[in-house]
Amino acid sequence: MTPTTMAILTFLSFVLPVPILAWLDRSPKDRAD
Amino acid sequence: MYAGHFAAGLVIKSKVPRAPTWVLMTGVGLLDILFGPFVLLGLERVTLTPGVPPGFSLDYIDWSHSLLMSLVWAVLFGALFLRRGRTVAVAAAIAVFSHFLLDVFMHPADLALWPNASVHVGFGLWKILPVGWWFVELGFIGVCFVYYYQRSRVVSTFGQRAWAVLAVIVFLHVVNSPWLMPK
Repeated sequence: MTPTTMAILTFLSFVLPVPILAWLDRSPKDRAD
Repeated sequence: MYAGHFAAGLVIKSKVPRAPTWVLMTGVGLLDILFGPFVLLGLERVTLTPGVPPGFSLDYIDWSHSLLMSLVWAVLFGALFLRRGRTVAVAAAIAVFSHFLLDVFMHPADLALWPNASVHVGFGLWKILPVGWWFVELGFIGVCFVYYYQRSRVVSTFGQRAWAVLAVIVFLHVVNSPWLMPK
């Protein structure tokens, strides 16, 4: 691994989980809306 | 710290259910989201240290992670959501600044007080407990989850799939474990 790879992986590791966690956190009511 | 930041986001969500989860989860990771491009642009520096915990040395991260810049990023990020109300904006700002507070425990003294300051802070749990830090962070995740779960049973507008949320965060924590780091 290089610093460039680590920079890219760090960026992705904090961005990619966001939509997954946000989607899972939504209540059934929100999803119906 | 990695997955623990997302766990902190769950606590903030529990306190301010009106704040969108994506805003809080982006906020808790914002300093590292900035760190990536800053390294690519040459504004910050990191050195890989295979075999020496935690596997890298954050040589210069003053623009993304210093105390002063953490506050600046927190205020700027919070300001983006003022239209959603002051409470949401403050929650977004706290999410960003929580990253600095939590990193203080894990990082060795590589967190500057301000860019190019000579004073750096960090308790260095990563180095003091080369493996144990993972369990400390796991415990932190657990405490955050218990609070999130309990609040989600009272406030039904979030966390109805709390266990799935926990599974994702624990998965991220396992991926970030010392046993899976590059040798």
